[in-house]
Amino acid sequence: MKPLSVQNLDMVYEVPNGAPVHALSNVSFELEAGRMLTLLGPSGCGKTTLLNIIAGFLAPTDGSVSLGGTEITGPGSDRGMVFQQGALFEWQSVSDNISFGPQMETPPPLWMRLLSPALLLLGGPISKIPPLQRFLFNQYKAQFQPQVDELLDIVGLQGFGDKQVYELSGGMQQRVALARCLANDPEMMLMDEPLGALDALTREKMQSLILNLWSETGKSIVLVTHSVEEALILGDVVFVMAPRPGRVEKIYELPFAKRALTEDPRDIKASAEFQEVKEEILGFIWEMEEEIMGREAS
Amino acid sequence: MNRVGVVDEKTMNQRDAKPDGAKRRSDNKTVAFGDASAVRSLPLWSAISAILLLLTWWAVTRAWGYPEDFKATLESGLRDRQLFEQCQRADECDTGSYTQIVSPLTFPSVRDTWNAGLDLFSDGYRNVELWTHAWASLWRVLKGMFWGTLVGVPIGLSMGLSSRARGFFDSIVESFRPIPPLALLPLFTLTFGLGEKSAVPLLVFASIWIMIIAARAGIRNTKLSKVRAGYSLGASKRQLLTKVLLPNALPEIFTGLRVALGVSWGTLVAAELSGVQEGLGAMISIAKNFSRLDVIVVGIVIIAVLGVAMDLILRKLESILLPWQGKG
Repeated sequence: MKPLSVQNLDMVYEVPNGAPVHALSNVSFELEAGRMLTLLGPSGCGKTTLLNIIAGFLAPTDGSVSLGGTEITGPGSDRGMVFQQGALFEWQSVSDNISFGPQMETPPPLWMRLLSPALLLLGGPISKIPPLQRFLFNQYKAQFQPQVDELLDIVGLQGFGDKQVYELSGGMQQRVALARCLANDPEMMLMDEPLGALDALTREKMQSLILNLWSETGKSIVLVTHSVEEALILGDVVFVMAPRPGRVEKIYELPFAKRALTEDPRDIKASAEFQEVKEEILGFIWEMEEEIMGREAS
Repeated sequence: MNRVGVVDEKTMNQRDAKPDGAKRRSDNKTVAFGDASAVRSLPLWSAISAILLLLTWWAVTRAWGYPEDFKATLESGLRDRQLFEQCQRADECDTGSYTQIVSPLTFPSVRDTWNAGLDLFSDGYRNVELWTHAWASLWRVLKGMFWGTLVGVPIGLSMGLSSRARGFFDSIVESFRPIPPLALLPLFTLTFGLGEKSAVPLLVFASIWIMIIAARAGIRNTKLSKVRAGYSLGASKRQLLTKVLLPNALPEIFTGLRVALGVSWGTLVAAELSGVQEGLGAMISIAKNFSRLDVIVVGIVIIAVLGVAMDLILRKLESILLPWQGKG
């Protein structure tokens, strides 16, 4: 596992007919391998921009990001991404979604692709035609099955491999997204509000799942969230970010994530210690929001 | 005292009691007006409208009150139109003695159309089988759609993927798309030749813009998160196109096919009205020359039925091939 290094990151968005937006200003930090970093802050503080730069979807205006000494210039399979709902490929089964990464790495042989243009839609509707599937697809796809089964087991979706994605509930879809991300065995996992669209109960279950994945795989995770509670319970390191220009305002190193692996997360959330930090951060964010409102009003 | 949540017996009973005489909706909704999901097509009312339509047709084209003795002097098996003509000619038949709202010289009666339909199905029209006409039309539409799709979809995809292609094709697409294909028929006839030769290019013209726009929309409507997920899972550009963008665009392309089919079908029949020997439009055109209104109406009905059937088949195909449609 490799450490992540972010140096002097600057990001300026040019806005037509307006002042340029300073989304990030001089952000620098080092993240050791195997840490869980949560990014928290009011909207417009640049947390998603930071995540997108680490993922390689955006190039910073200035500064650099490197993973284990290699500079990041574009998206790659060493940094797995989990999005808010809706990023699964609904034309594929759960198994095919999970094995998407490995399938990209080991595409079917050329003769297979030439033989049937249907293979272009691998896992698509045409593979439902049984004889063709038996003849062509099974041989190729069988090689991914052990890994898919293992991942399904890890995220708690045993027996759901043949279901279509749209048949699953929101929480289950996010489990598939986690498994799909893990299938590539990435160095680190980047999560952009992965639980944002889930109901409170499912959300708590998924928080536990993410914590377990984190401790079992030992991967670094960077997670963006709106919820202070979620940031605190999941964050081994928590960055509280401030807007205009986007910057890391406060850094917390918290024990709650490690404790939640053995204790009941609900007890931790109810503890006085947790509440104290939560109130502090909430007060801080509230102040920032008031300041923004004041500035906009004047 | 805390009274929240306490329900006395009276209100309980009121809640359960159904209002007298009021019929409850099966979906238990109290207000359906404005709720789009509560409005569906009731088959009974569709049947009523169909029957009303037929009844109106029958009532306005039927001859009411021919003198019975006049009918008896004529041989049996006459069409309404022949009856009308002979009646007008005959001295003993005063045209004021019967009423017919729409003359059979303007619109054929139900009985005439029915007879013409039976004739057409068994013997064809003027030595050409009905199936030959229908198949000729269908085949032209299929050819036009095939080329329109084959050329249009790649252009549309490129417009969704590249700014250069977008800029290059935009002016072409936007200036040709609003032109009704039939307005170009004279030019197509001069360029490609009469009838058959210009019919298929005209259909390609009718469908290609629709397919371009459908494919372009399919690419443009791809969620950014899906594209990014594909890249971060290690897909190359080509893999992203074939495994993410194309499947994502398929539902839109299919919708484009359905629209193009409808437009092509309408254009085709009009294009066939002159210069071709076979085809439903040609049949109508020939029948017009012989004043066979009944044949014209049968042709119109067949065109409508085939159009609806093709759309139903495509819709069925859509639900089989693209079961994820609209569930992303």
